Amino acid sequence: MKALILAAGRGTRVRPLTDLLPKPMIPIINKPVMAFLVEHLKRFGIDRIMVNTSYLSAQIEHYFRDGTGFGVEMAYSFEGRLEDNRLIDEPLGSAGAIRKIHNHSGFFDETFIVLCGDALIDLDIGELLEFHRRKGALATIALLDVPREDVSSYGVVVRDENGRITEFQEKPRPEEAKSSTINTGIYIFEPEVLRHIPETGAFDIGSQLFPALAKAGKLYGLVASMPWQWLDIGQVPDFHSVTMKAMQGGIDGFSLPGRQVRPGVWMGLNVRANLDRCLVVPPAYIGGSAEIQDGATLIGPVAIGNGAVIEAGAHVESSIVMDYTRVGSQTYCRNKILGGAFCVDADGTVLDVRHTDTSWLFQDARTEAATLNPIQANVLADIQHFTGPQTTLDLAAGADKPAGCQLATA
Amino acid sequence: MQLKLEALPENKGAIITIDSENLDAGNVREFKEQIAPILNGNDVVLLDMSQLTFVDSSGLGALLSCLRTMNNKNGQLKLFAMAKPVQALFELVRMHRIFSIYNTRDEAVAVL
Repeated sequence: MKALILAAGRGTRVRPLTDLLPKPMIPIINKPVMAFLVEHLKRFGIDRIMVNTSYLSAQIEHYFRDGTGFGVEMAYSFEGRLEDNRLIDEPLGSAGAIRKIHNHSGFFDETFIVLCGDALIDLDIGELLEFHRRKGALATIALLDVPREDVSSYGVVVRDENGRITEFQEKPRPEEAKSSTINTGIYIFEPEVLRHIPETGAFDIGSQLFPALAKAGKLYGLVASMPWQWLDIGQVPDFHSVTMKAMQGGIDGFSLPGRQVRPGVWMGLNVRANLDRCLVVPPAYIGGSAEIQDGATLIGPVAIGNGAVIEAGAHVESSIVMDYTRVGSQTYCRNKILGGAFCVDADGTVLDVRHTDTSWLFQDARTEAATLNPIQANVLADIQHFTGPQTTLDLAAGADKPAGCQLATA
Repeated sequence: MQLKLEALPENKGAIITIDSENLDAGNVREFKEQIAPILNGNDVVLLDMSQLTFVDSSGLGALLSCLRTMNNKNGQLKLFAMAKPVQALFELVRMHRIFSIYNTRDEAVAVL
């Protein structure tokens, strides 16, 4: 069976993560979200996968190539142009993406599935397909019931008793919502839907195609009989919560990569760390070529990126440290995402160390260690005057020990 | 930069409101000049941080020097109503362990 993964968006709501990464390539402990998706499709025999790319397209295309490494066939439909050796992204919208691929080769000549490249799902696609065929639908949407107070983040649908979709509401206020059933962005289509998509120009599935199909009475929706996971990386806090969940074993089919060196402590290759001289409370993942200096504190769940450096005395707790990030010895990092020069709190608060002139906290590990300016040196000296130098273990001193935590033991 | 001063009941001390969104290299000198006499004249100073949304290393330095001043004369300095970004920076640099920080003015006053 054939599929289209939508991967062209800029992911503006997930900035600053998407400044350097297209949204489908956001890693959940080293593995891009879209890779989970490709593996899931393959499980259902969906092995001919088109991907529309635009923003930072090369990262997606270079990772998946022709799909051989994933046991599927993949190809790309690039939306944009090359100008002065730079790729300019010009996304066509989701329905426009289908049109462009189809006009190229007539690719969509059988029932096909369309999904967004930025959500982790374990939906039973077989059940959705069976429903779609039984209803004789032109299009079927995988739906999910959510708590009413959450509807304002989603597209809400209203169905009749046959599962036919009669109405849409885009991000309604809870008190105005006509149901609490939402569109997950996973669709089954018949090739005939192409007749409803204009030949040229940008066209959107949700806001333009579906209202037309609903009017024709050919659009259905199914809430799967079994609960399923739909972990959408819609905003930065989602990235934090999904990673923490994965670290704690809360995502079906996800296992930590690398080698388990102590219970709950996983490591990639070439890590420099003496676990007897730093404090590591599981679950922890330490990426390849990372360095954990003696006297550092890691309190799980923590995910330390490849090539990252955690200096002696640094405290990292319930946090994600992105690849090649150096966390300074004075840094106390709790519920954060640290990457190069940015820091985002799990609640979405963004902090820029260049702006706040606090580059001692963290920086890119590949840059030369910055020398402190006089103001920074004074502040650091003052903080150390009050706290003492951070070269001893925080937990050993009895501070902040979370209830029930255990040290990693050999 | 404008500091609003309010006396605590029973001459217990002073509440200062920092009436600015920033405390940074651009206004830290002014802040220090204005706050110095208040710190000298009171044993208890409560700092209302609610207007501040941005603090840089200079701002952190100024707050640390206020704390030193108060500690040197066995006085008390308490901060309250910090906005999220300021709170996040305080924690990252470990200043949340150094200062007495309260969520609200009432909580800060209650412990006097």
